[in-house]
Parts: sequence; C-alpha cells; structure tokens
Amino acid sequence: MEKLTIICVDDQPEVLNAVARDIGSLSSHCDIEECQSAQECLDLLEELDAEGKPIALVISDHVMPEKNGVQMLTEIASDGRFKTTRLFLLTGLATHQDTIQAINQAGIDQYFEKAWDPDELLAECKRALTRFVFAAGLDYLDYQPVLDAEKTFELVAGRG
Amino acid sequence: MKLKEALRYLLAFGLPIVILCLPLSAFGIEGMTIQEQRVVAIFVMAALCWVLEPIPIYATSVLVIVLELLVLSDKALIFFKSGVEQPDFGVVLNYKDIMATFASPIIMLFLGGFFLAMAATKYRLDVNLARVLLKPFGHKPANVMLGLMVITAIFSMFMSNTATTAMMLAILVPVLSIFSPGDRGKAAFALAIPVAANIGGIGTPIGTPPNAIALKYLTGDNYIGFGEWMSFAVPFVVVMLLIAWFLLKTLFPSQQDKMELAIKGKFLKTPKAIVVYVTFAVTILLWLMGSSHGMNSYTVALIPVAVFSVTKIIGKDDLKNISWDVLWLVSGGFALGLALDKTGLASHAVSAIPFAEFSPLLVIFAVTLLCLLMANFMSHTATANLLMPIVAALAVSMDSLAGFGGTKAILLCVTFAASLGMSLPISTPPNALAHAAGHTTTGDMAKVGAALGAIGVALTFVMVYLMRVVGYV
Repeated sequence: MEKLTIICVDDQPEVLNAVARDIGSLSSHCDIEECQSAQECLDLLEELDAEGKPIALVISDHVMPEKNGVQMLTEIASDGRFKTTRLFLLTGLATHQDTIQAINQAGIDQYFEKAWDPDELLAECKRALTRFVFAAGLDYLDYQPVLDAEKTFELVAGRG
Repeated sequence: MKLKEALRYLLAFGLPIVILCLPLSAFGIEGMTIQEQRVVAIFVMAALCWVLEPIPIYATSVLVIVLELLVLSDKALIFFKSGVEQPDFGVVLNYKDIMATFASPIIMLFLGGFFLAMAATKYRLDVNLARVLLKPFGHKPANVMLGLMVITAIFSMFMSNTATTAMMLAILVPVLSIFSPGDRGKAAFALAIPVAANIGGIGTPIGTPPNAIALKYLTGDNYIGFGEWMSFAVPFVVVMLLIAWFLLKTLFPSQQDKMELAIKGKFLKTPKAIVVYVTFAVTILLWLMGSSHGMNSYTVALIPVAVFSVTKIIGKDDLKNISWDVLWLVSGGFALGLALDKTGLASHAVSAIPFAEFSPLLVIFAVTLLCLLMANFMSHTATANLLMPIVAALAVSMDSLAGFGGTKAILLCVTFAASLGMSLPISTPPNALAHAAGHTTTGDMAKVGAALGAIGVALTFVMVYLMRVVGYV
C-alpha cells in the first residue's frame, strides 16, 4: 500500500503544528507534509507528482505573504494532474470576495474558520480521503482505518 | 514491514521456480510429464499468491492465464515447446481454450447479474424495495433486525455481497447513533448485515462467485439449473438466517425499545425505470423457469445486457464500473482448473494418493472443513478456485463417494462452506465494511462468525443428507 499525501500550508509555524497534530492519527496511512508558503507548496506538489505520489488533500491558510491561499488553491484546482486532490481552506481572515472565489474557482470541499474544532477537522479529512481514494481508483480496503465509514458505504453501494 | 513484503514475494514466486527445476522423479507420481510439472508450479504460485497476497488476487488470476498461454499452450514461447516430441512431455493445451475462460458461459452469467445489479442501483430499485419491504417489520429493534437481514439476504442473491452490505449499512449506521453508547444491540445490528449478505449469497448461482465456480464442475448428469439451485439453497438460507438472527439477538440484546429507519425517496416512474423493473422481473422469471423455454440460464443472462445497452440504461461510463476484477478472478480459476484437467495432472495426482481406502464421509468432512478454514483467512472466490478443480477430480476418481451423493454432494458442501467463512474482518469485504463502521469488535465478529460457520457446515451436511434421502443427488 502506498501512503497518501496530505499537505498543510500556513505561514505561521505554530498553526501548522496544530493542524498536523490534530490530524496526526492519519499518519499510519498518510504522509503529512508541512509548507510555510504557497510557493513552497506548489514546488512540493511538482516534486511529489514527479514521484507519482497520490496527493489526496491540501489544507491551506488564506492570508500569507506573496501568493495567498485562495490563489494557490485555484491554481491547483485548474491543474489537470491534481483533479482528484481535495482542497480545504482554513482561515480566520478571508474577505467575502475571496470566499466566493474559493468556492467558485477553486471548488474547495471545506471552509474552516480559525479556531477550528479538531474532531470536526479530522472527520472532514477522513471524508475527503474517502472521496479521493474512490476518485483515484485505489482499493479502499487498503486505507480503511483513515477513511470515513459512512462515506465508504455510500460510494461502494453506488457502484452497484 | 519491508522484509515481510519481500519474503512474501520470494515465497510466492521462488517456490514455483524451485518446483520447475526439480527432476520429474521428485514428485513421486508415476508417469509425471513435463507439462504436468509446469502446472504444479503454476498451481503452487497461484495458491501462494492467493494466500499471501503479494499482488492483488485478480492479478494472480490474470497471471495464471498469461503464464498458461506462454508456457503450456500450443502457441507458447519457443523454448517451452522444445522436446514436445519426447514421450514424457505431456499434453499441450490449445491456446483458444485458455483464452476462452475469459468469456466462459459462467462469466457471462455473472456479467448479466452485474448489469441487473447496476441498473437496479442506478434507478434506485434496491433502496426503494428496501424501504417497502422493511415496513411490515415495524419498529421493535429485534424485528427491524430480522427485516434488515431478510432484505440483505434477498438482495445479495442478485447483487454482489459487498454492494448489498454497503447499501444496507448506509441505511443502518446513521440510525445506530441513537442507541446509548453501551448498548450491545449495536453490535448485533452491525454484524447482522454482513452475516446476512454472506449467507444470502448462497441462494442463487449468481449470488457469489464460489457458486459459479461450482457450476463449472457440475456438468453432464450433475448439471444444476438456476431454479433448481434455488430450490435447495433458498431454504438453507432461510434456516441459516433464522439461526443467525436468534444468535445475534440473544448474544447482543438491545436496550432500545423502538427504532426507525428513515429511507427517503419514491419509486421512479420514468420509462427507463419501468424498463429496468420489467427486465429485472422477466430475467429472474426466465431463470426460474429452467429450460422449459429452450434457453438456459447463461443465454438468459445476456438479455439484460442487451436491453440495458440498447436503452442506454447502462451507458458507456457505467460499463467502466463493472467489477472486471471479480470476473477475471473467476476466469483465472477456470484456467487453472482447465490446466489441471487437460494435462491430466488432477486425476494423476488424485490417483497417486490412495483415497479409495479412506471413508468417503471422512473425505467430505475433511475437504469441507478445509474449505471453511481457508475461506476465513482468504478470499472466498480464491478458495473455491483452488479447491474446486481438485475436489471435482477427487469425486470422479472415488467410486465409493457415489453412495453419499457423488460429485454433486461433495461440490455443494465445499461451495456452501466457502461462503460460510466469515469470522474475521479480512474474511470477506462485507465483514471489512461492517468492522469499519466501528460498532462491533473483532472479538464479536469472531464469536458470531465461527459459530455460524460451524452451524452452517453442519446444516449443509443435513441438507445434502436430505437431498440424498429424496433421491436428488
């Protein structure tokens, strides 16, 4: 079984640590990568994609120096190589306009406000990973401990 | 972890190579040929790959077919054909026969079943039927559980056990959250679904792949039609379900006095949906009518394939969702059986062991228990793939078995046992799904699964005995 990749992006190391800690239980089946800027994340995506790693989820902050989170997520969403990658926005400071772009252009799956509920974040991550595993055509039985059971039932049943 | 992985590969592919390098005399079988030796190597590879799973189980099947083509067939690689004129070379297989396993009539029967199931799911016939059928069972937890089990069993006779389990758990699991945290009743419900799906699969030839594999070896006088199969398998399923229900509600009583399953939706009344309902009903009816209309179950199975393709009920994209892995897994088993049979290895090997001296009852018990044991730890289909060809050859060579129902009896015992292996989360995908829901522990599953496995095998023997008494087998 190949590990899935989750990338967390935030310019504040303490937030990054907190996110990584909250979803730490997924590390049995996922590599959790931390990036401190949008560019670092995009570079990492290139690198991981070249290695053929399954990039399941990007959790990004919005307000960061240089490129902001919504811009970065929009770029990822419009890149055909990452069309199965799920995207979360985790921010305290997004304007109305940014939020609209995040939904319409980046097609984000979840919007979390700082401070987030750790249990909810973890549950949504599991749901996102489940969607990813099915969309990417991986065997769900290999990843069951980090998947959402109910989402799995729905997706397996849908296949008839 | 890495070392374990490497060892699995080494064992699964290394041992067969060692077997290929042995001299023919090392096998202790009189008149062993080179082709037979190659079949032994392929069989050992398949067995190890299916048990240890270094590669996915369907991949093993594909590998079996391709290796047979490259090594055993009349169109094999040139060095495998050198020495073909030597007396100990053995029988060369026809490459067309090997390739034909991909499209064997039994594979087509399954394809028909897949089309029916896909159309039913797409037009929500399954969920809507579940809603209607659940109603009469009321709101008492024990009754609701029986209702869920009955519906799951019926559906898994025509749909894959896995898809049925997933659908029913999707309905059930959200409701379990209203149970109090310590209520053991939750375990009963979570286990009821996979148990009913595994048992229900026994009910029809298309219920689960092991049944189809058995049909492959039930030919000539031993032929069993679709309706005929159901005439003994459905009563078996009913009795097993009642036992399972009683066991679950006794082991894990619920404190809840009322529960309600909310299934939303209405029966679709669009023309396409009506085509689905009619085709579904007609196909099953034709299957039940046996050969009175001139068709057999295999030709009937292709009717829904045609109807749903023509009406675009199953479109191009839906075709991609067909479980080719299941079809190929079964095909590989057929190819393995073909090689064992056509090279003469199966009968050769069986005759090398003095089975005739053993009590036929002992042989039936032994292979059935072996099958049950294997099915608990590995794929049911892979278990059937490995055991059926050998058991079929064994049955033919053992004249004394005739007094106990012969080929039919022993194959049915093995087939039913293959579906009864359900004591661990890894035993079957339905178990894995139910376990993932988190309301049941591995211990609970082991207790219930082992008990039902033992009871089920005993009941199978009773059934075969009764079939013998009425002169059916």
